[in-house]
Amino acid sequence: MEYATSIVILIGLFVILAASFNLILGYSGLMSIAHPIFFGLGAYSSSLIVMYLHVPIVIGMLFGAATAFLFSIALSLPSLRVSGDYLVIASMGFQLGLLQIIRNLDWTGGAGGVTGIPPLFNLNNTTLSFVYVAMVLLAAAATVGLVAWIVRGHYGRAIAAMRDDEAAFMALGRNSVTMKITLFGIGSACAGFAGALYAFYFLFISPDQFDLLYSAAILTMVVVGGVGTVMGPVVGAILLEILPQALSFLELPTSITGPMQGIMFTGLVLLFLFAKPGGVVGTNRPKAFRGDEDEEDAIENGQPRGLADR
Amino acid sequence: MDTVLEIRDLQKRFGGIVVASNICLELAKGEVVGLIGPNGAGKTSLFNLISGFIRQDAGSIILNGRPVERLPMYARARLGLSRTWQNIRLFPSLSVLDNLVIAPRHYGGESFLRVAFDRASIKREHERITELAYQQLSKVHLVDAANRLPTELSYGKQKLVSIARALMNDGECLLLDEPIAGVEGAAYEALRNVIRSEAQNGRAICIVEHNITFVRDLCDRALFMFNGQIIESGTIEELTARKDLTELYFGSEA
Repeated sequence: MEYATSIVILIGLFVILAASFNLILGYSGLMSIAHPIFFGLGAYSSSLIVMYLHVPIVIGMLFGAATAFLFSIALSLPSLRVSGDYLVIASMGFQLGLLQIIRNLDWTGGAGGVTGIPPLFNLNNTTLSFVYVAMVLLAAAATVGLVAWIVRGHYGRAIAAMRDDEAAFMALGRNSVTMKITLFGIGSACAGFAGALYAFYFLFISPDQFDLLYSAAILTMVVVGGVGTVMGPVVGAILLEILPQALSFLELPTSITGPMQGIMFTGLVLLFLFAKPGGVVGTNRPKAFRGDEDEEDAIENGQPRGLADR
Repeated sequence: MDTVLEIRDLQKRFGGIVVASNICLELAKGEVVGLIGPNGAGKTSLFNLISGFIRQDAGSIILNGRPVERLPMYARARLGLSRTWQNIRLFPSLSVLDNLVIAPRHYGGESFLRVAFDRASIKREHERITELAYQQLSKVHLVDAANRLPTELSYGKQKLVSIARALMNDGECLLLDEPIAGVEGAAYEALRNVIRSEAQNGRAICIVEHNITFVRDLCDRALFMFNGQIIESGTIEELTARKDLTELYFGSEA
């Protein structure tokens, strides 16, 4: 039972990570690979503030999201002001560097990680652990809903234009740098909150849980599910979370299962990019922006709005 | 005459290639100025410098009395500088209408905080902008195309949409890069009338164009560019009568 519960929680958390990463990569076109570090920042900052300063856990969780948000601004502000391409390198350096710092500090638990994180409530109680599952699934649904709301509304129209042609977009008076920093911050805050949810369920975190393998995992989920689609990351996260679990039932020796994950992620990304770039959910054609607020406004009785006034 | 745009000693070189050398230029309210010259003379580069797409090595660009040469592209647009592109550059995943909707000088939809927390005013703004977008589309007779994607339209119509999009910015300075290339028939007339009436409404308009008839029809005066320099200015008749300029334009007969 506990096994099933933790799988469902992991699926929920990866839905949050994949959906928010899709906002950054798929919709905004920001080339970052450092998503797990914001997950990690959320996990570390929330658990450390609760353990050292004894703040209520719920406050700690929000602090986790806020920390991820602030660090993402600190990363994107200098790199995006220069050029979008720098973000790839800056994000990788940021992830690896920060993990190295965490490994070498005493108060972050060093390479051994943080143990003894207090639970939000007694998770040995079956009912309460279901409450936690419900919380995670609710957060996952909220993240997917948030992304859908952002990309289909007025802001989504601007995002679509920015991704299509940034120079033409800027020449119209649109500040694309602010938009990118904002989107990067929102996506990272979601990842930070997921990190807090992770920490207060599994009660143990270590630097290895946020390294490049997880960058690859999240990227694979988004690509396999469908880049730039609302439901793609959900499908991708479920598939990619269940697949390794299913493989573990084959009881292969660890010398094979260890590298197999990485090979599987890379293989799937390559396979999908060649054979089905739209992912499981998406079509292979680029998607047009489709606002959900304005369509009825725009057409009245089959006549475009505004004609009647002339 | 009210000067809208003033350029002083603008310089730009890419390695050994000089694209702008001592460019001085004034554009006044209500005037239409043609920028002509052979390919590679630096006409589009001059537009790129003025709009901030590329950064000058030296010199100043003054828009409505305000130096803008250090400002990013979006800030210049907000101060009233609007431009089109030779290669059109519409947003392929937005409908024609949405291409215009995101193009006003000030647009609340680009602010996440306003979209999230100031929904009523965004909605009002959106209605106003949509109205304005239909007005611009009707100027180029493309209201019917409002809900189509740009890629479904002919090249000429896409060009007209891009001009309508530039008109969404109600600023006083308008730079049009080859507006008539690919536009034919009735649309040619319509476009000429649009540019004329925009000038009458007080815009200062600069046009890069190879179609000399179009320039003669529209422009009060023209500037001849060659090798990154404005080497002559005058009416189009004066310029086309000059045999040396014609030779530079078409290449001298050997």
